[in-house]
Amino acid sequence: MRRGRGLERLILAVVAFDLLFLALPTLVIVVASFTAGRIVAFPPEGFSLRWYQAILEKRAFVDAFLRSAYVATVCTLISLPAGTLAAIALARWRLRHALAWQLYLLLPFTIPLVVSGLGMILLFGRLGMLGMLWPVGLALTVINLPFMIWGVAACVNRLDPDLEAAAANLGAPPLHAFVTVTLPAVMPGIVTGGLLMFILAFNEFIVSLMLVDARTVTLPVLMYNSIRSTITPDLAALSVVYILIAAVTVWLLDRLVGLETFLRAR
Amino acid sequence: MKSCRADIGTGGRSDRSFGLRLLDLAESVRAGLFPARFSVWTPYLYLLPATLITGILAIGLAEMAETSLHVLNRATFRPDPAYTLANYAAVLSKPVYLRIMLKTGFAALLVTGFTLLLAFPYAYFLVRTPHARLRRFLLVALFLPFLLGQVIRAYGWLIVLGKQGLLNAALAAIGLGPVSLIYTYGGVVLGLVQYMLPFAVLLLAPALTAIPHEVELASHGLGATPWRTFRHIVLPLARPGLVAAGVVVFTLTVTDFAMPEIMGGGANDFIANAIYDAFFQLSDAGMGAALGIVLTLFASLIVALAFLLVGVATLGHGAQQDAGAGR
Repeated sequence: MRRGRGLERLILAVVAFDLLFLALPTLVIVVASFTAGRIVAFPPEGFSLRWYQAILEKRAFVDAFLRSAYVATVCTLISLPAGTLAAIALARWRLRHALAWQLYLLLPFTIPLVVSGLGMILLFGRLGMLGMLWPVGLALTVINLPFMIWGVAACVNRLDPDLEAAAANLGAPPLHAFVTVTLPAVMPGIVTGGLLMFILAFNEFIVSLMLVDARTVTLPVLMYNSIRSTITPDLAALSVVYILIAAVTVWLLDRLVGLETFLRAR
Repeated sequence: MKSCRADIGTGGRSDRSFGLRLLDLAESVRAGLFPARFSVWTPYLYLLPATLITGILAIGLAEMAETSLHVLNRATFRPDPAYTLANYAAVLSKPVYLRIMLKTGFAALLVTGFTLLLAFPYAYFLVRTPHARLRRFLLVALFLPFLLGQVIRAYGWLIVLGKQGLLNAALAAIGLGPVSLIYTYGGVVLGLVQYMLPFAVLLLAPALTAIPHEVELASHGLGATPWRTFRHIVLPLARPGLVAAGVVVFTLTVTDFAMPEIMGGGANDFIANAIYDAFFQLSDAGMGAALGIVLTLFASLIVALAFLLVGVATLGHGAQQDAGAGR
């Protein structure tokens, strides 16, 4: 019995450590963002909102934020139909060469991001698409599409094929059956995938670093450039904006789909 | 928890007729463009957009492969038109690249080991705890950092580990001298373990959910200690999840750019950083591309080995989910 307690205690100890370990960077960023001092230091000098005011007044930050929002929107809008349809096709029908299709659509996960980014620079450069913002959104779709497919596929696998058969039996033509039966049934997966695509694109760094220039720089790339020079508290305030966006996304995921969905056996 | 099966057809009554009329119109357009006798092609039509989008990547990879076959002409600083494997020979023989590969591979092993050690108890507790509120809290604590990019998290670690950071302030309070962890190999590994932890837990949790609690209770009832139950029941049954999580963490680490770039301070480069530098600092695209292709092959090899070990179903998203998970 005593040895059993030991295992239980060990598990609890690791969980407690993990919680601290996971939260630590987020917590220090929040604390640092409210400092009244000019540098990030512990303990912080006093309390103020000056760095929040500073980021709002800095044109470059606001512009980069808007660009990131634009890129994330483009990425999500392309991913939603493309990923949803692919997931339904993969999970629904017994395709010939199903394994080959799956492996092909998993390419974005097996090719390192640096390589994907450089490949797209070469391709976009050839097509004269560098220097524009929307191709960055497209590129982020390319590298993250498996997340969208995965989100929807998990739902399609649980969809009862008899439902669609019943709709057809009752006289619903294909599009009617798709819009009134299939889509509502996989909606939780579409929501999950869409939210993931948006927030991943909003945070994306390495591929964006290669595809943007000074006029199209997105927020994570701008933050990276600033970190390289000096670690100032304005970046902490900017990071808090990201933390808030992540918090809203977690809340939405929980409300719309339920976080426990991610624990289910697939 | 809501199920994937949503309520069907309970929209607002007033706009339903309009919606349905719109749908009728769309249906007739579809019937004109895509008559029923074409329906064998429907699956491929569904796959078309994703196939084209992924095609961008395939073409990009082909461009990289082509680029890798030209050496840099040092006189003109342009790629030489002749095809050659010289870049690959250089990548595989130059000590500088060999050292970076070893450093990256060793870091990936460390990160994978530490991450799995930290993730397994978390995932197990998450799945098994009877308290719904605690589970929600653990999930939120997991998802919040999961949705923060590497730049933000690396910045957080710089604040924790920096000269005037939290760690050194805490050490000074108990009378210990300052330690410098930023811009070190250990700092990069630490940042990566924290980055990978949510990925690993989210891949492990479904595998642990699949283990019936009754099996553990039976083992316990037959007199096995919790340690033996863990060792002989839980661990073997969790193997597909462990392999999936291990492979994802390993490949993500081996190909990582941001953590070594920001936390390593230029002195702890990974392969991805060397590729980036070859392109943008040395302007030797051919060398960078060759290094990139080697990295791609290595990452694909790891994933292929994992497929052989646990089957595609665990990592992919196919129709026959249970058929492939050979154990």
